[in-house]
Amino acid sequence: MKKKELRRADFITSVLLLLFSVWMIIETLKMPMKDTFGGVQNVWYVSPALFPLIISIFIIILGTALLIHSINSGGAKYFLDNFSVRYRGISEKNKRFISILLALLTFVYLNVPRIDFFITIILFLTFFISVFYFDDENLLKKLTLFYFTGSIIFTILFTSGISKILNSYYKYFIDILALFFYISYIIYNWIKVKNNHIYKKRLTISFVVALTVPLILCPIFRYFLLVPLPKEGLIIQMMHNIYYFLK
Amino acid sequence: MFIFEQLIIFFQQIFILMTNPINVLILFGAVLLGIIFGAMPGLTATLGVALLTTLTYGMDTGTSMVALLAIYVGAIYGGSYASILINIPGTAAAAATALDGYPLACQGKAGKALGLTTTASAIGTFIGMLFVITMAPIISAFALNFTSFEFFLLAFFGIIISGTLTSHDLAYKGWIAGFLGLFMACVGRDQLQFYPRFTFGLNELDGGLEVVPVLIGAFGIPQIIQVLKDKVISGEAKRFQRILPEFDEIWHHLSDIFRSALIGVGIGAIPGIGEDIAGWVSYGAAKNSSKHPERFGKGEVSAVISAETANNACIGGAMIPLLSLGVPGSPPAAMLLGALMLHGIQPGPMLTFDHPLFIFQVAAILLLASFAMWITGMLLAKQVIKVLRIPPPIFMPIIAVLCVIGSYSLGLRIFNLYLMVPIGILAYFLTEMEYPIAPLVIGVILGPMADANLRRALMVSKGSFLPIFTRPVSLILILVILLMVFSQITWFKTFIKRMINKFFSKKKLNKVHPNSIKK
Repeated sequence: MKKKELRRADFITSVLLLLFSVWMIIETLKMPMKDTFGGVQNVWYVSPALFPLIISIFIIILGTALLIHSINSGGAKYFLDNFSVRYRGISEKNKRFISILLALLTFVYLNVPRIDFFITIILFLTFFISVFYFDDENLLKKLTLFYFTGSIIFTILFTSGISKILNSYYKYFIDILALFFYISYIIYNWIKVKNNHIYKKRLTISFVVALTVPLILCPIFRYFLLVPLPKEGLIIQMMHNIYYFLK
Repeated sequence: MFIFEQLIIFFQQIFILMTNPINVLILFGAVLLGIIFGAMPGLTATLGVALLTTLTYGMDTGTSMVALLAIYVGAIYGGSYASILINIPGTAAAAATALDGYPLACQGKAGKALGLTTTASAIGTFIGMLFVITMAPIISAFALNFTSFEFFLLAFFGIIISGTLTSHDLAYKGWIAGFLGLFMACVGRDQLQFYPRFTFGLNELDGGLEVVPVLIGAFGIPQIIQVLKDKVISGEAKRFQRILPEFDEIWHHLSDIFRSALIGVGIGAIPGIGEDIAGWVSYGAAKNSSKHPERFGKGEVSAVISAETANNACIGGAMIPLLSLGVPGSPPAAMLLGALMLHGIQPGPMLTFDHPLFIFQVAAILLLASFAMWITGMLLAKQVIKVLRIPPPIFMPIIAVLCVIGSYSLGLRIFNLYLMVPIGILAYFLTEMEYPIAPLVIGVILGPMADANLRRALMVSKGSFLPIFTRPVSLILILVILLMVFSQITWFKTFIKRMINKFFSKKKLNKVHPNSIKK
């Protein structure tokens, strides 16, 4: 980060820190200070509020120091001068950042708790590897948009309760839908890169890696480390059947 | 007699570890994995230790320590591969090595440079181990006199010193990170009255934030985001025929090795200061003491040796405060602390009573890891550098999956993942704004200790802070903390400068006067 931008960031951070410490003090003051809690008469120095209070005071002091420094070094001025600057599009770096966040957030908050872990991993890896491995801004944008659309559909399915209704018809309905989404993502990728030899090769590598990793990881964690996977659906169940059949 | 007994115990530990073939296998496997982690730009020793922690959870403590210390040693050494062969430091610890390692490789001496770093790293680890075995029990014994006030101040000392020394921008950014870490440690029911603090009514937060997922998030997620966002690329590695041990060259640089090892151990022993700083300080010291400082940066052998000896000696140094005080000396050591807690071992002054052989075991593992590292380095370097060809967009997503499954598998809680991701994103933004992450992690780890000990101390003193100033250790700690804080304030710096100038100018006058009188 450039010095000017760093100071602007310092200004914003210091304000956020001050707000945070005020919130912390308000929350801390709600804690028992001298009154009884759980039948125990408190004294101020045994109060659970003491340590957070000390921390919040230090954060206020340090936040103020940061605020003063950012004002003196021109950070506040730079922030105010650029406050009304109009939207100038998203830089490539920021597009990459959005893609990373989308991949991580959908993986952890949307897919891991609800979709078979094996399918979740291949979906995540195929998207995450392909989107960066192609190293093409245009493709990054299109693939991210495709993945985002799919994730929105799944979010609607999960939040509206439709997923439960679908799963009541067939236990692994959502897993099959996720597999369908995965296949459609691969097909969409293929359509986009079919005329480029290098990209085609990269797509194949992404596909192979995305499949190999869960094939190694899932059995290791499930059968060697005895860790029940977050969601054991269609594929993991199939893996169980094969494992116990062989055993 | 006492030393003799200690030596016997030490060699017993080595024998016990070596006679278990699984331990030997894990030792070499983890060292190799560490070298790969260290060699790949974007992956760090801390991340390696973090991910392996999740895999070693089910193992017994001894075996898991073999794996974790071996990957730590391997990763710190492995960083030199990328530094020398592609001029991109594999880890921050090997950044100083790149300055002279890569010019050596350009001169067709890549094999020689790698040979030097392999042997120097092994010696550095060995010397660090010597300090662990000699210093840790002494400091532990000394720390037995600590009371609650000292432990409370120790946590603050850890945050302030690591914040001051690891911050690239303003020192108080490091302190802010530390206090944010302390805040995170407050989340959950407090230890004395079980009152829920900052839990927002969520039962999952009652037990507080689990240390390992927080550490994985704080170290793993920012790394993934940075590498993929900034398009970190692996370069074409320089070719080399074979690695030579270079004993003659090492012999000629013994003084560099000992000086660097001492620097490494010293810096490692300071809470939160990692191997990267040890490498740079040692590099600087080597340049200052060299007869040919102009050769530095152009392929100077002593520069490579110094940086690599120091960063590996730092491992031993980092283990000293970890084992004796429960304060991690470096970010990977913080991760080790998390792993130890998972195995029910609480490092600190009581360690020598609760687990009397543990320090010897750690020292024995460090010794074996340094041997394993040397052998692996000599034999497998050519194969290991092939991993440098793997592009980051392929391995970083795999690391993300490992972070997720690793965090989940500790406690089998999806909620761990819900915490890991926002903490990782917060750590990323903090890193971007040049806030160091080490103090934050130290805050998370030492927070409960600071909180409980402060209140316990005040209970004993009936609410009086006076014992801080009457007890020598706490007085020293508070004076050091105040000195570090005041040293960041401009008027204080000016005042000190003025005082020094005044003092020296007086001295000069005193020196001048008698002569002038004689004349």
